[in-house]
Amino acid sequence: MPIAWATAWRTWQMTRRAYPWTYAVGTVLPAALAISLAYLGYHAIGGGTVAADFQQGSGTTAYLAYVVVGATAFQFTVRLILWSAKALITEQRQGTLGALLVAPAGRFPYLLGFTVFAVLSSLVEFLTLGLVIAALGVSVPVSSAAGALLGALALVAAVFALSVGLGGLMIAAGEAHISQNTVFIVLGLVGGFTFPRDYLPLWAQWFAELLPTTSAMDVLHGAFTGGQSLPDLLPRLGVCALLTAAYLLLGLLYLPRAEARAVERTY
Amino acid sequence: MTTSVKAAIEVRALRKEFPVRDKGIFGPRGVKRAVDGLDLDVPRGRITGLLGLNGAGKTTTIKTVATLLRPTSGRVTVDGLDTVTDARAVRRRINLIAGGERMVYTRMTGRENLWYFGQLYDVPKKELRPRIDDLLALVGLTDVADTMVERYSRGMTQRLAIARGLVNRPAYLLLDEPTLGLDAPIARDLRRVVARLAEEGTGVLLTSHYLAEVEELCGHVYVISAGRHLAAGSPAELKAATGTHRTIRLTVTTPSPATAAVATRFGADLELLPTGAELITLRHPDDMAGPLAAAIVEAGGSIGGLEIAEASLEDAILALADGSREAATV
Repeated sequence: MPIAWATAWRTWQMTRRAYPWTYAVGTVLPAALAISLAYLGYHAIGGGTVAADFQQGSGTTAYLAYVVVGATAFQFTVRLILWSAKALITEQRQGTLGALLVAPAGRFPYLLGFTVFAVLSSLVEFLTLGLVIAALGVSVPVSSAAGALLGALALVAAVFALSVGLGGLMIAAGEAHISQNTVFIVLGLVGGFTFPRDYLPLWAQWFAELLPTTSAMDVLHGAFTGGQSLPDLLPRLGVCALLTAAYLLLGLLYLPRAEARAVERTY
Repeated sequence: MTTSVKAAIEVRALRKEFPVRDKGIFGPRGVKRAVDGLDLDVPRGRITGLLGLNGAGKTTTIKTVATLLRPTSGRVTVDGLDTVTDARAVRRRINLIAGGERMVYTRMTGRENLWYFGQLYDVPKKELRPRIDDLLALVGLTDVADTMVERYSRGMTQRLAIARGLVNRPAYLLLDEPTLGLDAPIARDLRRVVARLAEEGTGVLLTSHYLAEVEELCGHVYVISAGRHLAAGSPAELKAATGTHRTIRLTVTTPSPATAAVATRFGADLELLPTGAELITLRHPDDMAGPLAAAIVEAGGSIGGLEIAEASLEDAILALADGSREAATV
């Protein structure tokens, strides 16, 4: 995949030159804030305990560990969408979309390059988040290391699949902020990142099932705080794989039309 | 039976419409027809011009050939490959240089830009490095190859965009106002590069507002107006077809009835100057300066001055545009 690596390298060079190193700290502050607020709420309001319905929905009483996994995964999802879904509209804004579209390179390896960059840079950025988590004294149990690894990979693939179609919508509409923030709100509310989906209305729970990130989060929570083994996690991994493949296929089919629309819009 | 594929860009009955809203996002939908039934050919080894006034459909045509736009109807092929169904194969054979767009990354160096686009075009690793050096030398950016593009001047950025357009050694080069904003010497160098590429077999489709540039470079020119074909031919043929004439001004210092008779015989205008000399003005499509001067001398006249103003392609295009407008109002 030389195009993916070349794109990842190019993005690294451009980002390194555009932003100071403190940018890496700033990007994880929302997750650090979410974890810190959960910490305060857990101790100041909850008195260090969780309700029975939380335990029923999440399979754990380790609320802070559950939030750490969810908030970190959500922040990671946001970072991945910001890089991968916004790649094409950023090209458009900087006047390089035409040069990219007229080249024979496929969009799949190109967008994959952004995801590779986002994953690698996020790993570095999340070291900062690790310091915050350590400072709060939160320990995260791991019931299945293999499940956690597969869950993380499933989340990357699911977000990538979402980003392909979302990136198409962005360039076709010529705007990024409304679409990206709508996705962030929807994912944050129904995706089962920081609280169990049992708290949601039934229709929202069914809607969440249509998102590939939901099953990926079930795997991650199950592998860390849920006490589940790898065989327990496989059904949800399968659902995630099917939804990811469907989103990816639809996104790749839609992308050429979105690109044509983007060029027409600037006519 | 075998069918031969013509090595050329072929545009056949191309129509391209864009949806438009007249009054904001809630206004009525309409359709703007940018190109309307256009036919053109761009063979290899020739620079083909595409001319027209603003809004004529030049950029839409070139973007459709470049696979960036889909035809509403009609067909565009490159060496027999359809620009819609075989877009990726077409993209390997073409490249686009648009003067009005940046098309390079500012937070990368010139060398890095060419390397990255080399990857996008799948240029073999062994070939890419020397090719980048050659291209940087070609556009005069060797000294600043490792400087970030954001520190380049506009002209230097444009030169890098030109190098980018050549990184895949395209069989067909699409040039949309390539010298826009370039200094005269750089524009001249680019014209030399384009002429050389055509000599080496590259097919070039060129749009430019600098008609002298088109006249200098193009072997064949298509003139379009409101997306429709208006005329086609070599610059000389277009000038001849539109009746645009070169102007010969000959000053006779010793006018006489005999020299006046010669002028009348050639169909020239006569004007008596305050100095007593006579100015003969002849507008003619052919080069009549020699025969006119010889006839005046034979008639006993002395020539005080001779000035020849060649008809330009600009005159021809303006004449065609005027004719098109008049036809539209009839």
